[in-house]
Amino acid sequence: MDNTTPKLMTAQQAIARYVHDGDCIAIGGFVTNRRPYTLVLEVIRQKKKDLYVEGGPSGGDIDMLIGAGCVKAIMVSYIANSGYSQVCRRFREAVENGTLLFEDYSLDVHTIAYHGAALGLSYVPVKNMLGSDLARLWGISSETRRKHPKLPVHKYIIQEDPFHPGDELCCIPTPNIDVALIHVQMASPGGIIRITGLPFQDIDIATAARHTIVTCEELADDEEMRKNPEWNSLPGLCIDAVVHAPFGAHPSQCYDFYDYDPQFFIQYDQASRTSDGFQRFLEPLVACYDHDAYLDLWGASHLESLKIKPGYGYRPGLRRK
Amino acid sequence: MNWTEKQMMAVALARQIENGKSYIIGTGLPLIGATLAKSTTAPKARLIFETAIFEGNPEELPTSVSDLRVHYRAAALLPQYRYFGIQAIYAKRGEIDAGFLGGAQIDPYGNLNSTCIGDYHYPHTRFTGSGGANGISTYCDTIIVMKHEKRRFIHKVDYVTSPGWIDGPEGRAKVGLPPDKGPRAVITELGIMRFDTQSKRIYLAEYYPGVSVAQILRNTGFDLNVTRAVQSEAPSDEILDILTHKIDPSRLMT
Repeated sequence: MDNTTPKLMTAQQAIARYVHDGDCIAIGGFVTNRRPYTLVLEVIRQKKKDLYVEGGPSGGDIDMLIGAGCVKAIMVSYIANSGYSQVCRRFREAVENGTLLFEDYSLDVHTIAYHGAALGLSYVPVKNMLGSDLARLWGISSETRRKHPKLPVHKYIIQEDPFHPGDELCCIPTPNIDVALIHVQMASPGGIIRITGLPFQDIDIATAARHTIVTCEELADDEEMRKNPEWNSLPGLCIDAVVHAPFGAHPSQCYDFYDYDPQFFIQYDQASRTSDGFQRFLEPLVACYDHDAYLDLWGASHLESLKIKPGYGYRPGLRRK
Repeated sequence: MNWTEKQMMAVALARQIENGKSYIIGTGLPLIGATLAKSTTAPKARLIFETAIFEGNPEELPTSVSDLRVHYRAAALLPQYRYFGIQAIYAKRGEIDAGFLGGAQIDPYGNLNSTCIGDYHYPHTRFTGSGGANGISTYCDTIIVMKHEKRRFIHKVDYVTSPGWIDGPEGRAKVGLPPDKGPRAVITELGIMRFDTQSKRIYLAEYYPGVSVAQILRNTGFDLNVTRAVQSEAPSDEILDILTHKIDPSRLMT
């Protein structure tokens, strides 16, 4: 990315410019923690479709993409709003009805594959998945894969370890990610980003992706962020768009900022049981034409009630039932 | 003092955690067992989470392995790929004692299914998928948490998500897995099962107070050896008090 092109823009502009039908997208965060909901809702609002999703530790955000008809295929290792639903319901229904292409990996394999992608490796050789159906059954056959150029031709290849004859390894292809969507605690207009707390696999997908869109809780000047380069996660070289979106991970958690919104997850679990319920739930969210409208939808006092307590890192006593 | 089935399970889980040793903790009931153990009999146990949180010390019950409550007073928060590596290397050295997992189906050799019921491509029921379970079962001894139902304890699982002893003592070596690691125990709301050191087949080790061996057999869909079974110690009032008032006062999981 050319260092003179402005990166600061709205979610609407960022998604319109960088996310296209048929793209392979990767989403940051982990289940109910620091998921880029603002960006995901914008993808839905703009009716992007035929997306190949690198799920990793997926949450209800990806379930919404599936329910809204945006997803062609998901590389899944886990998908649930953990603690609030057993498994994401739109995903489950789509798989049971045969309307979604899916491929199962394990979470640890996804992690190391994303890291391998960020290192420019073609594949990662692991012991994981051997002896299980993860390394016996293919969710997407090689015949089908040939019709989808975004997918690797092989789910994995099992090979002898060249350095330890007789020992087998499962070689996992690294993904080819078009766009990474992540939410971070601080970013600058020049694209310097700072993640606090657990990074999950965000730095890997942001590095590996051809384009990366970031929403941030706080927008700081480039000069301010350069005062402490040791705290910065990635430079502007790796980032294409910066969107200032406080509560951009709501309803998921954000380290240093807010806890999850249990009522949202409880209601989503109920509503997403049916397609109609899901559409009714989604409607007011995608009706928000910009981020201010989203914040006003929830209201200051509600969002305030989710903020973390200093010294704890979460909201003690948060009502979760 | 009386207790619920889930409370007994949490106590039984906590009993599997030895003070000073390191464990990988999966989502769900293992979180309660681990939190309870750290507050009572194993304060120096080290809890590792697949989010790369090392020595998490939750005071309030977390709902997931990524919950901010797990981060509380942890030793280190690392990039996720570090977890991958530490699991692979440290379990081999014996420095991770075991990992806790759940599943929807289990067979007599501890192979677990958390992916689907029915045909993989056109399933009757689809679950979350492996999560970190496959990795944990690849490298570590495992303590498995299950509901004790006939349809769950079956001869052959519909899909092997997490490999156990495969089909006997040579099973794991045959498929390229570390042969000296595998399922160690299965904790249900009725009792505790373990795996024979020679045959690697499951057997009943303990039944909880108030539960009969007949009840366990009725709820198991394969032959289960019960000749070695003894009754578990009842949970103490003290531990139930901590569980209900400190660990899970809102009854999120118990």
